Amino acid sequence: MAHEQSTVSALPASAPYRSWQPLFFDAGRAVVMVFVAGAVLLFFTLGTLQLFNEARAVQNLTFADIFPSPREIYAAWQEFDTLLLEEHIPETLWETVAGLSIALVLGVLLAALMDFSRILRWILYPLLVVSQTIPTFALAILLILVFGFGSGPKIMVVVLFCFFPITLNTFAGLQSSDPELLSLLRAMGASSFQSWTKARLPAAMPSFFSGLRIAATYSVVGAIFGEYITAQRGLGVFLKRSYSSYQIDQAYLAILVTAVLSLLLVVLVNLIERLALRWYYTTRRAGWRGPGIY
Amino acid sequence: MNAEPCIELISVSKTFRDGGREVRALENIDLAARPGEFVTIIGPSGSGKSTLFNLITGLTQPDSGEIRIDGRPIGSRTGQVGYMPQRDLLLPWRTVLNNVILGPELDGRPKGPARREARALLPLFGLEGFENAYPDTLSGGMRQRAALLRTFLTGRDVLLLDEPFGALDALTRRELQRWLLDVWQRFQKTILFITHDVEEAVFLADRVLVFSARPGRITTVLPVDLPRPRQSISLLSADLRRLEAELIEALEAANGAADSG
Ligand SMILES: Nc1ncnc2c1ncn2[C@@H]1O[C@H](COP(=O)(O)OP(=O)(O)OP(=O)(O)O)[C@@H](O)[C@H]1O
Ligand SMILES: [Mg+2]
Repeated sequence: MAHEQSTVSALPASAPYRSWQPLFFDAGRAVVMVFVAGAVLLFFTLGTLQLFNEARAVQNLTFADIFPSPREIYAAWQEFDTLLLEEHIPETLWETVAGLSIALVLGVLLAALMDFSRILRWILYPLLVVSQTIPTFALAILLILVFGFGSGPKIMVVVLFCFFPITLNTFAGLQSSDPELLSLLRAMGASSFQSWTKARLPAAMPSFFSGLRIAATYSVVGAIFGEYITAQRGLGVFLKRSYSSYQIDQAYLAILVTAVLSLLLVVLVNLIERLALRWYYTTRRAGWRGPGIY
Repeated sequence: MNAEPCIELISVSKTFRDGGREVRALENIDLAARPGEFVTIIGPSGSGKSTLFNLITGLTQPDSGEIRIDGRPIGSRTGQVGYMPQRDLLLPWRTVLNNVILGPELDGRPKGPARREARALLPLFGLEGFENAYPDTLSGGMRQRAALLRTFLTGRDVLLLDEPFGALDALTRRELQRWLLDVWQRFQKTILFITHDVEEAVFLADRVLVFSARPGRITTVLPVDLPRPRQSISLLSADLRRLEAELIEALEAANGAADSG
């Protein structure tokens, strides 16, 4: 009690009046949230009904066909788990990891080249942007039509999806190094190669990892997209077959597996980042715990 | 006393041109320091003190005049002197130990012996037990000491220290001044030391150079004949007070000259 009184007496005279304000704010916030939640719910309910009606009109599907229960999805998993685990998931994972690795090397290399020479920057930068503005999908389809069914073209699609954020972020990181620090290194007699390896590259690492995180998020989707167009194995194939045979529960299963794989990949990247950039997370952001799992 | 100067500037001038504006930063600087001498440099902000250091390190080239180290003109070579800039600029991704061996590393010397040498010096620099800490976890005073150790470990005979204690509180500053004198006497280095603090300038130096406001010129050279070692000298010592008064007068005169000129 005594303690409470001392804190109250430390407040200005208008404190009793002010102390009601947080309550009002909370009440206001609650009302707004109820409205927002209601609107979102309404939107999805109406949208779902609309979808259902349209689907029924075309295919004579029941509601349960379009929205399987978790139990049905689990049943689908039990039915297909060996097929998925032994055939489709390994294929998709292989394409994803291979593509992401190539994108990593390519992205860092391009960033280094653009950082190294202004002329290369002028040539490469517009090309990179254009490579992302022409619909990646069109390009991906072309790649697969030209190079065929193997996993090679799918890996190329993953690279196409992933190298851009890595390049852009790494480049920004390289450009952001402290000019005074670079002067100091030069004053100490460092060659330009030494200032690159000892200052610019390590300074770019946090940005590089942000890029890699975005790339990892896209990578699984890239692989599945490639497989969806045409392939013999992989989650994309599984998804396509499910749709074409109206096995909606299997399709949901594929989507779920995709989400889990993407999440695992991002978590892996974050783990590596935490280990590699211990200096960044123990000091620069004292108290801040970094990106967590996202 | 009669040794050859290990660092020598002969009528060095430097003018910056950016856009159409010309900034005359330094004009006809003549300066020579004997091996083992402690020279402090004081002057108003913008009088070209940091520019002087950039010239001696070889980062910028003078418009006219010559800079010699151990009798040889430096030309555009860098890495001849140890340099500690106004900001400590420790590498945040390196531990203290790996930060301080940067000099030997850049010289291509093996890291093992460099680390051993650095470890042996950590207690003297008050960094014992912190060799594996990252710079951002250290206090301001410790960071300065780490930056100083890095500068010492470059192994150069001439050290340029640009306001190393500028951002510290009065007590820490006092403590580090005494400690620097200790270290300097032990290692027999030649030190050029920039400061804004009159007391610091007198307390540390064999000679104080007073710079005028733009264009930077050396207006006064004040020899400090206080006996050494000075670590235990009283702040209220009459000699110290007299020299400080003299230095303040010289500073005011230098500013006045620039205003009327
Ligand atoms: N690279 C540059 N380009 C143009 N002008 C410059 C450059 N470097 C320094 N100057 C100018 O030269 C003058 C001297 O600068 P300098 O940094 O040497 O001053 P200083 O004596 O170190 O000042 P302070 O005590 O505030 O550190 C300033 O007017 C500054 O604007
Ligand atoms: Mg300066």
